[in-house]
Amino acid sequence: MVRTKGTRLFIFIFLAIPVIHLMVFSYIPIISNIYLSFTNYNGVNPPKWVGLRNYERLFTDPQYIKLFKNCLWYMLVAIPQLLFAFILAIFVNGRFKGINFFKGVLIIPYLLNGVIISTIFIIFFNNSGTLNSILRAIGLGRLAQQWLHNLRLVNPSIASISIWRYYGLNFLMFFGGLQAIPTELYEAAAIDGCTKLQEIRYISIPSILNILFINVLLSISGSIQVFEIPYIMMNGANGTATPVIQIQQSAFYENRVGFAAALSIVVFIIVVIAVSLQRIFDKRGSIYQ
Amino acid sequence: MIKESKFYRVLRYVFLTAACIFVVVPIFPLIFMAFKTGAEYSSTSVLVPPQNWLNFYNFRYAIRVGNLGKALFNTAIILLFSLTIQLLFTTMVSYVLHRFEFNGKKIITTLFTLTMFIPVVTTQTVVFQIIYRMGLVNKMPSVILLYSGVNIVGVYIMFNQLNSIPKELDESALIDGASYYRIFRSIILPLMKPACVTLLIINGIGYYNDFYIPNLYLRKNVQTFTVALHKFFGNTATPFEIVAAAILLGIAPIMVVFLFLQRYIFYGLAGAIKS
Repeated sequence: MVRTKGTRLFIFIFLAIPVIHLMVFSYIPIISNIYLSFTNYNGVNPPKWVGLRNYERLFTDPQYIKLFKNCLWYMLVAIPQLLFAFILAIFVNGRFKGINFFKGVLIIPYLLNGVIISTIFIIFFNNSGTLNSILRAIGLGRLAQQWLHNLRLVNPSIASISIWRYYGLNFLMFFGGLQAIPTELYEAAAIDGCTKLQEIRYISIPSILNILFINVLLSISGSIQVFEIPYIMMNGANGTATPVIQIQQSAFYENRVGFAAALSIVVFIIVVIAVSLQRIFDKRGSIYQ
Repeated sequence: MIKESKFYRVLRYVFLTAACIFVVVPIFPLIFMAFKTGAEYSSTSVLVPPQNWLNFYNFRYAIRVGNLGKALFNTAIILLFSLTIQLLFTTMVSYVLHRFEFNGKKIITTLFTLTMFIPVVTTQTVVFQIIYRMGLVNKMPSVILLYSGVNIVGVYIMFNQLNSIPKELDESALIDGASYYRIFRSIILPLMKPACVTLLIINGIGYYNDFYIPNLYLRKNVQTFTVALHKFFGNTATPFEIVAAAILLGIAPIMVVFLFLQRYIFYGLAGAIKS
């Protein structure tokens, strides 16, 4: 396009505010956080340099190592979650009666907010709640538990809620990938006398393998940022705290901003690694695109 | 298309039905609970339907005591402002970055792209101080301001749409003497409508459901819907049958929107994820 003085002014006007917003609320904070993580800043007094002390604390104190261990539960439940979403996407991809009904019901959890989901599952895991009632009704009453007060079961119990909450997102991504496969491919396979199982094995699965990998990395970066469910259901009690709950606790209730900054940076680095891998994989693209 | 065997079709219905049961099991006892009296709730199993399906006491109580109507209104205001501002800025940024060549274009594009590496939860220690110094803590503009930023997913969605709008269209308008502002407003914006709907749906659902930001910035006076629900539920004095009614009230608006927009939501989300 023609470049005139007017063009440059136009570009400037259209970009200025969004770029300032970007700097003030993303870049300046993350860079200040890197600096603050090496200080003992408490939000009031001027920060004093303490070197690596915050990080040392983070990686040696069992109380803080536990935060990251809790995230592992959330990564672990991502395996059944992705498998479930994957099979669903395969089945929904096609033409059959009731497809809209199934899609409608299956997407419900994805539309609900964390407060509602957490509360639904407080009732679900409650002593006289849904899970125990069902167990008793089918004669497995001896398995009934205080799910949220048993220190060994509380983390896997609340982590498993993310299966219910997030499989819909994975399902949508897989479904989108399957819909993008050119129909000629299926037609060619049909002419060659390919069975449904072979179609899934040799066309569907290879085509969305890269989406599967992206979902794995999404789950990793999501697991490290878990906040709502353990915060709302347990307030981080019974050993359910996660890094993000601790960041909030340290920064806004204990006035240990420097420490919270260090924890933020660790989370940030893990996310950077996961997202970078995802980007690299995404660029390579799927086999058929 | 490959013919699906009868076995495969049966298997599909079995699996999908099981999946629907998985989705519904945690929710349906709430429907029973919401219509039970307090005494009935404590004396019957959660799996037993209520005696009187017309007992709306719990719903009335939840609306009155939980302040949910007011909170829903606040959320609506926040959504209205932040989505409008964000949509405007996203289309502007996308148009300029897509259609113009200029010094620093690469740097600015990279800056927007790299934000995907910076999770919101890792910057709030500092952002809070900034918002605090602006005097916006506990005021609605804090959340609106944080929600109004341009995010890269939105830019990608817009880019996809812009790819399909021929450049000749802008150029011929330019030759006819239209200014860039005019081209943007009268040609580009109307043609970007589908991408705008997608962005509104994705971020609308996201912001309606967000708890982290409003919980941090709106602690007193103004509450969003999620924060009000949390306050209401978090109060252990609130009986479970009333909590159940409040949950159903919280699900209702989303379900109504969903029923009307089902097609757009499904393809909007799937399309956005693909891009």
